[in-house]
Amino acid sequence: MRRILIFGLIIAALVLAACGGGSTEPTAAPAPAEQPAQEATATPVPAEPTAEPAQPEATNAPEPTAAPEPTEASMPSMGEASVMDGKIMLPEVNPLEVTGDVIAAGSSTVFPLAEALAERFIDEGYGGNITIDSIGSGAGFERFCVAGETDISDASRPIKDSEVESCGQLTPPRTPIEFRVGTDALAVVVSPENDWVGEEGLTLDELARLFSSDVTNWSDVNPDWPAEPVKRFSPGTDSGTFDYFIEAVMTPAFGDAAEEQLLGASSLQLSEDDNVLVQGVSGDQYAIGYFGYAYFEENQGKLRDMSIEGIAPSRETVDANTYPLARPLFMYSDAGIMTSKPQVAAFLNFVLSNVDDVILDVGYFPASDEAINQARQAWLDAMGQ
Amino acid sequence: MEQQSVISSAAGAWSDPTQPIDLHKRRRLGESIIRVSLIAAAFVSVATTIGIVLVLIFDAIKFLIRPEVSLWEFFTSTIWQPQILQFGIFPLFNATVLTSLIGMSVALPIGLMIAIYLSEYASARARGILKPTLEILAGIPTVVFGFFALGFVTPLLQGIFGKNNVEIFNVASAGLVIGILIIPLVSSMSEDALSAVPRSLREASYGIGATRLETAVRVVLPAALSGISAAVIVGISRAVGETMVVAIAAGAGPRNFANWPEALKGLNFLNPFKAAETMTGHIVRISGGDISYDSIDYDSIFAIAFMLFILTLILNIISRWVVRRFRQEY
Repeated sequence: MRRILIFGLIIAALVLAACGGGSTEPTAAPAPAEQPAQEATATPVPAEPTAEPAQPEATNAPEPTAAPEPTEASMPSMGEASVMDGKIMLPEVNPLEVTGDVIAAGSSTVFPLAEALAERFIDEGYGGNITIDSIGSGAGFERFCVAGETDISDASRPIKDSEVESCGQLTPPRTPIEFRVGTDALAVVVSPENDWVGEEGLTLDELARLFSSDVTNWSDVNPDWPAEPVKRFSPGTDSGTFDYFIEAVMTPAFGDAAEEQLLGASSLQLSEDDNVLVQGVSGDQYAIGYFGYAYFEENQGKLRDMSIEGIAPSRETVDANTYPLARPLFMYSDAGIMTSKPQVAAFLNFVLSNVDDVILDVGYFPASDEAINQARQAWLDAMGQ
Repeated sequence: MEQQSVISSAAGAWSDPTQPIDLHKRRRLGESIIRVSLIAAAFVSVATTIGIVLVLIFDAIKFLIRPEVSLWEFFTSTIWQPQILQFGIFPLFNATVLTSLIGMSVALPIGLMIAIYLSEYASARARGILKPTLEILAGIPTVVFGFFALGFVTPLLQGIFGKNNVEIFNVASAGLVIGILIIPLVSSMSEDALSAVPRSLREASYGIGATRLETAVRVVLPAALSGISAAVIVGISRAVGETMVVAIAAGAGPRNFANWPEALKGLNFLNPFKAAETMTGHIVRISGGDISYDSIDYDSIFAIAFMLFILTLILNIISRWVVRRFRQEY
């Protein structure tokens, strides 16, 4: 009798567990973002007798213009900024003394870089959590400026005016501050067995036509090339890389029909998984593809990169801004967030101070000294130093 | 222990002659808990099925009544590219049919031969080795099969048919591997059907001088036809629904054609050595990215899923009908 009872209870428990599992519907869409616990993580801001009492909504983020006392109080380890060899050096931050969570979201291109820096930040003693969501630049700005739930927005393109506008409509309003963290170059790749496109590479126009629905065979672009179908490999339509390719390559050639031309092309393989693209291009003599330079570097032996307009992607050409398919990588934040959440300011400081050490490992190119200086100056301005 | 208590309570009931004997069925708590939990278990599967079907239907309708989509175009156009508002299910459907056909052309003969061997020829020892091996094959995760297709079968095909004729992602390698994947299913279901054929039939057959092969092919096989057909149709359903293998090895973009003449030219749409994306593969790829709700791409995958559901539903109905129609009672 007792055995039967126990058996019955076990079955009942299993059924309950199954029911519970069954009722949570799996959704294809990304999980809703955690509400940023602004209230929870906000550091105690010393009461300021001079603070305007006219602010009825006691929001936690103080006015960006708030006096710097709270910052200093919560970041005791910050030294002074200095200038060395023409580079602005930010006050050093000690990750051991930083607490509280950081929420970042945005470009999937910036993601590996942000992740590498976050890992390093944690390795050096930071005790809080850094959440980085790879959701694309546009979606990142939506969460930063419309939902107002992220502290940092990663982007592989500059913010749009419309996005700045919606940031201004938040309470409290956010004024996005741009921090340039590096440069990504798009690598256009073919199989190593491709022997008809020479050292001179492709022009932007040839590249656009190779990816358009007007062209079926390589010979349609250049009669000297083989009369074999072009096998096209492209990142998926959700990725910033796809958007950038449309904007930088397809739009100049086809205008408004750019996206239609690319997506309407035959033998087109689209994948969010860059390894699929690498595999596809390396396995087919007549294939052509493009993706972030990082993935090319990892797979150099299997692929051949193309010069564009006669210029090969390299650190020099990207630095000199001559390689046509390079795009800037940014992180955006807001002075109000940075002062009210010192951990955000500390992380950004850490990013701007250390990005050049990790960026080549991640596979991108460092931003010019000038751009980094500008970003560091922007950080100092935001912190009121 | 248990029995003792039952006896003692029974003895207690008997020992009091003044009480009328209670002839009612005794309520047993354990029994009713089991009953309820078993019903609940059955209900979970029914409720889940109904829920999924409802979601599919509603979202598929939501997609089909969008102004950008026409039902006519959905069934007749030869381009599927939701981002540029091209919704023709044909390229995806075609790829699904193609991979399933290739898969079945591998799984059916091999699976059936294994089943005949196991039930008619194999010694106990051979069975003891072969059956567990097949079970292991059935237990390998399909993602492993996917990479097996991409990393082994595709290069093999390229070696046989020439690298220029076989694309790195192609329908043939995915289809062949799906076939291998469903061999255990077909063979074990067919073997059950063959073993269920009564011994008397075989003995009668041997009695009139038939050889083993004749007995197997002319007597046992026809007698087990209903079970074997069910195995075949379940195998097809499995092939149609297979996802990981095609997502990895078959291709990452629908094999679109500008128009029907283009598709029919040289039977282009049947070429097994080119990449194509099946319905399941497309759903996986699209839902893997971060598309937003209410976008047309998001809704479109429900329409595909609904088509897939109808396809497997039809196959299941056929299979039930076949089982009933050809069932032979002995």
